Amino acid sequence: MKTNSKAVMTGTHILIGNEACIEGAFYAGCRFLAAYPIEPAIETIERYLKRSADVGATFIQMEDEISALAAVIGASWTGKKSLTVTSGPGFSNMMEHLGLGVMLETPCVIIDVQRAGPALGIPNRVGQADMMQARWGSHGDYEVITLAPSSPQEMFDFTIKAFNFSEKYRTPVIVISDEYVAHKKEKVIIPLADGIKITPRRYFKGQKDKYLPFKRDKDFVPRMVDIGEGFKFHVTGLTHDDKGYPIMLEECQEYNVHPILWKIRNHVDEIIEFQETGTEDAEIVIVYYGATSEVALKAIKQARDLGIKVGGLKLDVVWPFPDKKIAELAEKVKAFVVPEINYGQIVSEVERCSYGNANVVFLSHGEKGIDNADDLVSAIKLALKEEKIKKGIIEYQNQAGRA
Amino acid sequence: MNPIITAFTNGIKKSGLELSKVVVVSDIPFEPEVIKEIGVDFFHVTRGRAIAFGTGLKLGNPDLKIVAFIGDLMTLGGNHLVHSGRRNMEMLVICVNNFVYKEIAGTLAPSVSPGFSAFSTFERPFNAPHLANSCGAIYTARWTAMHTNELANSIANALDKRGFSVIEVLAPGPNFYKDINQVNYELLDFYYKNSVTKNNVDTRNVEITSEEKIVTGEFTDKEKSPFIDTYNAQLGKILGDKFIPLGGQSGRD
Repeated sequence: MKTNSKAVMTGTHILIGNEACIEGAFYAGCRFLAAYPIEPAIETIERYLKRSADVGATFIQMEDEISALAAVIGASWTGKKSLTVTSGPGFSNMMEHLGLGVMLETPCVIIDVQRAGPALGIPNRVGQADMMQARWGSHGDYEVITLAPSSPQEMFDFTIKAFNFSEKYRTPVIVISDEYVAHKKEKVIIPLADGIKITPRRYFKGQKDKYLPFKRDKDFVPRMVDIGEGFKFHVTGLTHDDKGYPIMLEECQEYNVHPILWKIRNHVDEIIEFQETGTEDAEIVIVYYGATSEVALKAIKQARDLGIKVGGLKLDVVWPFPDKKIAELAEKVKAFVVPEINYGQIVSEVERCSYGNANVVFLSHGEKGIDNADDLVSAIKLALKEEKIKKGIIEYQNQAGRA
Repeated sequence: MNPIITAFTNGIKKSGLELSKVVVVSDIPFEPEVIKEIGVDFFHVTRGRAIAFGTGLKLGNPDLKIVAFIGDLMTLGGNHLVHSGRRNMEMLVICVNNFVYKEIAGTLAPSVSPGFSAFSTFERPFNAPHLANSCGAIYTARWTAMHTNELANSIANALDKRGFSVIEVLAPGPNFYKDINQVNYELLDFYYKNSVTKNNVDTRNVEITSEEKIVTGEFTDKEKSPFIDTYNAQLGKILGDKFIPLGGQSGRD
């Protein structure tokens, strides 16, 4: 791929998460953004527009988020790496075409900057309550890769990873950030243009009349072509065969949809990424992602100072979920503590994967401020106090908790 | 073959466009063999969203000619129609109006008259060419599926134009789940016989009512700068030499 030298801003910068995300997108070769403005994702569009002339990138403000993702999927078929950005309410709108993107197996990236919900919620306050929507929001069976950055640097890095995953597995990929990370201003280091490996699109190389848009390789990933080059192919959102022709039979449903799941499920070990902090000797492990990462590290330090053996597991890739890692830790540790800025989403996955081998304590974080570790340390103490393994999730009621 | 497809094929031939540069986006499942016969790239997408999908295709590769075959233009597709008219997005929309959702037990579309069904239609119908014209379409026309020559000419004319064009085609709605020979020719004929061609009439006067004959013809034909030209001109003016205009380049970076 020919890279535009101005697209990559090599050097050290002070950026907010949303800006770093766009720099990551340009680094990865993204040249198309269709979006509808929404808080707190708006700085991504501003940054994109500010830089688009230098980079040679296209932007269109669509009439809604439904059409934004439709346009992104369309643009991806012209060979452009494409992106859309949104927040909760827009993410709900996009669910229709997330399914279409999965069914048409189109590489594209969706950035969801989570805010407090449901419905309109609080537009400029942090939330982490779209985690399950990212996984299950669209109807039908699908697997979706979702990355959860926790700092502007990770917004940059994970956006590049998201584009790489989307091209490698020919699927939409979600970067699920949140208002806290999106607006946090920090140092971001952008390497040289060839410093990070960019996965190119996997094109079909063969005779034009031999192209089958859904013919899978051994990894179940089909090859792409660009439209307008005379391949004369047929693509449909209905259940289809290799040729992309609709076939309304149960056998074809199995033939078509199951491999879409396999292409992710068979590669979970290559996709899943996490960071461990002091889990070797830990009795209690905090499982965290995104905005709660800072406070979790703070709580680990405070608890260690008190002599409690606490470790941390930070989920970089949330979906697919690191089932094996949680199960493995559950056999070693006494309990997991899961702080989330919602009322319990990823915690149920942790509970599922601990198979009754460890207690799971849930803390709805953020009431006392996002960087206040007091509740988290108390939740750790609560987890330590439990002698027996309890059924279900133990919910930590903070002092302001209502009866 | 389906008379609309025949007209479409003839229309492309007449316009002299290269087939590989024509892309069809549709919310109606076509018979794949038909698409193969025409020889274009084809996308069957979610209901009503073909215009939005086509917008991405056009901006991704401005050298392409996008044709959106739409069944659901005025309900799910309504907002996309309105805004593409406003943008003057370069695209030809062929709205196949059956008045019903044929696959869904014949439920009724927003183009039927009040009282068409005693229990479910209380609203005034949309007048598709007038709606498109009001939103800024540079070309509007209406034909029945039996007007194959007129429709072909109309499609050729619309493909020659640069901007948002809408052609409404009245048809009983054959589809690939049923044998194409089963199409009710009496009904096809009924639309044709009950129509009267009046070119260049004001789109306000072409509403379909049960009392009067269906007005067919080419209604709107005007010139307006298409979206991509406006985009290039505006950004070129602000950014000067460093702006890379859209179009005339390969889709790949």
